[in-house]
Amino acid sequence: MFSFGLGLRTQHYHDFLNTQQPVDWLEILSDNYMVDGGKPLMMLDKIRELYPMVMHGVSLSIGSVNGIDNSYLKKLKALEQRVQPMWVSDHLCWSGVHGRKMHDLLPLPYTQEALKVLTRNIHQVQDALQRPLVLENVSSYLEFESSEMYEWEFLSALCRSTGCKLLLDINNIYVSAFNHGFSACDYMQGVPAESIAQFHLAGHQNNGDHLIDTHDHPVCDGVWELYRKAVKHFGFVPTMIERDDNIPPLEDLLSELNIARSIASEEINQRTAS
Amino acid sequence: MKLEELQNQFQSQLLAQNCKDADWIAASSRGLSSEFRVSIYHNAYRVRLAETLLDTFEHTANYITVELFETLAYAYIEKHPSTNTNIGMYGQHFPDYLKQELPSCQEVFEIAMMDWLLRRAFDGPDSLALTKHRLESIVASGADISLLKLVPTVCLYSQQWNSLDIWHAANHDITTPVAITLPEPITVMIWRKETSPHFRSLSSIETKAVELLQSGQSIESLCEILNKQFPGLDIATEFGKLLVRWLDDQILSSNID
Repeated sequence: MFSFGLGLRTQHYHDFLNTQQPVDWLEILSDNYMVDGGKPLMMLDKIRELYPMVMHGVSLSIGSVNGIDNSYLKKLKALEQRVQPMWVSDHLCWSGVHGRKMHDLLPLPYTQEALKVLTRNIHQVQDALQRPLVLENVSSYLEFESSEMYEWEFLSALCRSTGCKLLLDINNIYVSAFNHGFSACDYMQGVPAESIAQFHLAGHQNNGDHLIDTHDHPVCDGVWELYRKAVKHFGFVPTMIERDDNIPPLEDLLSELNIARSIASEEINQRTAS
Repeated sequence: MKLEELQNQFQSQLLAQNCKDADWIAASSRGLSSEFRVSIYHNAYRVRLAETLLDTFEHTANYITVELFETLAYAYIEKHPSTNTNIGMYGQHFPDYLKQELPSCQEVFEIAMMDWLLRRAFDGPDSLALTKHRLESIVASGADISLLKLVPTVCLYSQQWNSLDIWHAANHDITTPVAITLPEPITVMIWRKETSPHFRSLSSIETKAVELLQSGQSIESLCEILNKQFPGLDIATEFGKLLVRWLDDQILSSNID
């Protein structure tokens, strides 16, 4: 089924409340609503009455060797009960150990040991949420000597061992492929198609010899091209534009989302015709 | 390298003042040093926290200039690693840090406290406020009201400087008054009314009354204490005036005993 969404940002609260906008769902940043009360939760409840939602977090730290922070998981569960989202996602990363919080999506080594830690942590989260967790591939700027497999092999093994789903961020594949010199097509061929739950599209910053995942630019041509290949390979997957900084008016993001609609439609029609 | 050691070493690099090369990082296909690649994460950590401080302490930054604020913010970040999953909670000790770093500008501490407490009121716990109509219906029903409770976002703090005026000027982008000490310290109350944080200064009798409500004193006991501390005033009349204002300000919880 075709479905397209946008990330809900405070700048667009009134646009979404005042007019029914042409999106099939909204993705909320879970962490922004894991608060005691006030305006964030009030606006969330009002907007939730009008749009289906999915939840996307940044602080689960699923790859932390110390395990999952139970108080965070409890708050996540409470928000999940409140929002009743279609799915709940976070990132394949770690964000700090021993009580320190780095507020970043830090990369993991792709080792058998990391696979065991992730499997343990994902099972804990899925048991608490009583639903499969959706994990997003992150952009990265370094790789580890200790890695024993490619990222896509690691993701596939994780899906097999836990039943978790994947949020493929097409921009992140593009950024990491550039930074580490692997093939974005090999990546997409290597992950299990049946596990893909969502696509993200976003912009990045090109610094010549490396790319930084900034989410403050429109989607670039190279990422649109990769999205076309992704739709060709995986079929249609729920897709959204993710913008976190330098937020433009809503109509700009809706126009960008229409580009995704056109590409997906063209590719699906071609698949059907052939 | 085991995962635990790798995460410890990576995090230590991010928290250290300077980055260095690391042999646990694989060679870059683009010829970039490991030090440079770690520095991307090293910088991002500091920039995110500094942006959070600037967002939370916006009026403080406007008062002392953004340049000085950023210098102090980056120095604070080196000394205070983040320990809260919610990045918005970073900066709890920043007002105290400013007090220590700017000993001749103590009003800055008070402005920073205003910024911090207003932010906490913004997304603090919800509570239905007691309305005049609800209070009247309780009284009409003959129920006995012995205790009034405050909504959970109410907090008090004392100011010795004209920080309230300075904060107000920064908020409205008007000429900032010169910092002066007040003849007497004042108490400022901060709370959330509907979805917006509010603040105002309190008289000495209102300060005492709100403190007594915060400590869980019954209305009877509160009036007895006020009678003793303010012998020249008609406490029944004063309490009536306070009650009207509190209902209007929505600082009383509808959860009453």
